[in-house]
Amino acid sequence: MNLEIEITAQPIAPRREPPEETRGRLGALAKFSGIVRAEENGQAIAALEYEAYPPMAEHVIRRIIEDIHRRHPCDWVRVAHRVGVIPVGEAAIIVEAAARHRAEAFAMLTEFMDRLKQDVPIWKRRALTAAELPAPQKP
Amino acid sequence: MTMRVLFYGHLKDVAGCAETELKLAAPADANELWRQLAGRFPEIARFRTSVRLARNCEYADADERFTDADEVALIPPVSGG
Repeated sequence: MNLEIEITAQPIAPRREPPEETRGRLGALAKFSGIVRAEENGQAIAALEYEAYPPMAEHVIRRIIEDIHRRHPCDWVRVAHRVGVIPVGEAAIIVEAAARHRAEAFAMLTEFMDRLKQDVPIWKRRALTAAELPAPQKP
Repeated sequence: MTMRVLFYGHLKDVAGCAETELKLAAPADANELWRQLAGRFPEIARFRTSVRLARNCEYADADERFTDADEVALIPPVSGG
């Protein structure tokens, strides 16, 4: 399995295509994006701030993906999690899974997201209102 | 050597810092680690039941032993994604 993990303060986007070496083997490519919504706990917000413990987050993500892969084999998985201030409407996480059949790819996404929310050391630190946004991100 | 201890999430606010250092006379268990941390950061002890300890980027077992050479992180409930 080809596994890519990225924890970054930069905006994230899905890959246009899986890696070239997987072409011909793949029958399914599933993508999940977790997007920052305009409300948090009933309050209107402009952004969420995330923080991570990057070396451990990458390590735990790898463990989880490898475990799921044993039951739901995928050829390629990419996990990108953004940290820092993420404005409403932008992605906090993108997970892409490519496999021979759709069942494995969907299972990878679903189970990974459940386990990420239990074990991967990444946190929503706070919600920001429009007035609290750093200057370059003000609308 | 000194043990590096990292705080994340709200624990950073409770401790008033992102990390600290502990000097252990001998390998210590989790109880001893919490005792030392509570001595320096009294407010932090009340979060013990909801916080997991990580040793060198692995969640620590209940009987884990910690040494000066370890990097320890206090992991509050996670909320990524």
